[in-house]
Amino acid sequence: MSFEQNAQHLKGLKVPPLPLMMRNLALAAICMIAMFQTPASHAQQATEIQLTYSKGQFQPSQVSAPADKPISFRIKNLDAKAMEFESTSLRVEKVVAAGSEGVVNVRALKPGRYEFYDDFNDKARGTLTVQ
Amino acid sequence: MAAGFLLGGSGARAEDPSSWREIETKYIFGFTLGSGIGLEGEKEVTVDSIGRFGKRDGHYAASETKYEYEFTPSQFIQIEFGALGSTHNIGGVTGLDDRSQIALGGAFAELRYLAIERTSNNPLAVTLAVEPTIRRIDETVGERVQNFEFETAVNADLELLRNRLYAGFNLLYEPEVTRTSLGYTQREARAGGSAALSFRITSNVVLGGEIWYLRHYDAANLTAFTGDAVLLGPTLFIKFTPKMFMTAAWNAQVWGREVGNPAAFNLSEFQRNRVKLKFAYEF
Repeated sequence: MSFEQNAQHLKGLKVPPLPLMMRNLALAAICMIAMFQTPASHAQQATEIQLTYSKGQFQPSQVSAPADKPISFRIKNLDAKAMEFESTSLRVEKVVAAGSEGVVNVRALKPGRYEFYDDFNDKARGTLTVQ
Repeated sequence: MAAGFLLGGSGARAEDPSSWREIETKYIFGFTLGSGIGLEGEKEVTVDSIGRFGKRDGHYAASETKYEYEFTPSQFIQIEFGALGSTHNIGGVTGLDDRSQIALGGAFAELRYLAIERTSNNPLAVTLAVEPTIRRIDETVGERVQNFEFETAVNADLELLRNRLYAGFNLLYEPEVTRTSLGYTQREARAGGSAALSFRITSNVVLGGEIWYLRHYDAANLTAFTGDAVLLGPTLFIKFTPKMFMTAAWNAQVWGREVGNPAAFNLSEFQRNRVKLKFAYEF
């Protein structure tokens, strides 16, 4: 059936009083409101983790934190060039300029192992263990 | 260039997946979308083209390109929006007017919410997505219309082997309403799902395959079934640099049926082939 034939055929059909599209939009709006509600854990005090970036390496490169509490990374870049603190599993990234400090806030995490790295330097790696 | 990436990988790290960085899964499955939502603070511009080829007779080639900006404002939400460009090159196809045109086709926005996140102890991640789209050019026939589509999707993936093997699954429900230039209103919907498997052969190259099952209805509430189809094909993802990647996929219709038409394949609501090519730059 061609597009126009189809359109003519449908012209004769009875349209429901409340179009489905409107109901879909209402449902989507409810979903969006639910989506934007921030987790209650954001109100908790964050666990602070201090990292130093020097000579292309994180110090320390292995850190740990308790589960179900937000985390705040404080990264001090002592090198002469910028670095980018990044993690796919933590879902964060932040460029820290040379000789400066950056803060990266992370949601409350479930127990597990989370990798982080400098996106500008493939050799600079670290691991956060949450337990 | 692709061959260079396939053969070269990333040097000494190529053979040791445990040393590879974790991969963002959103674009490694072709038409199937993974659960990834990017990194908080990350922005991305992309050009994402989908070409559709082949009807029952004549020649049919159409494409829709998304010129897209996406960003991740939180660790759970990703937002995308952009403009649509479309091309149609149609000749001798029964039921369609001959046409050769390039047009600005419309606009879209997408909201993605990560509902289940992957951890080292849980390989499953699930994202819910909604994508309203407005078109002034009909996707299939290329004529001037007023079209509103509201795609809803579930994008899930599983890490089967750490840093190596991934499975992706999508569920799709896509109602739309179209008002033609003659004043007719048409409601229709597509619904279906997909499964994909992707293997990371080097740290920056992922190869895979996917299968889609799609159904078409002449009503938004899925009451007037008109046909279905199965599409199958390979997928490719290449990360050129930490901030730049491409994804490509080809799906061929391997089975299809139309209500009231005994011919093989469903070439009324779907096409014989579709290809996807996407380039992205993150900043």
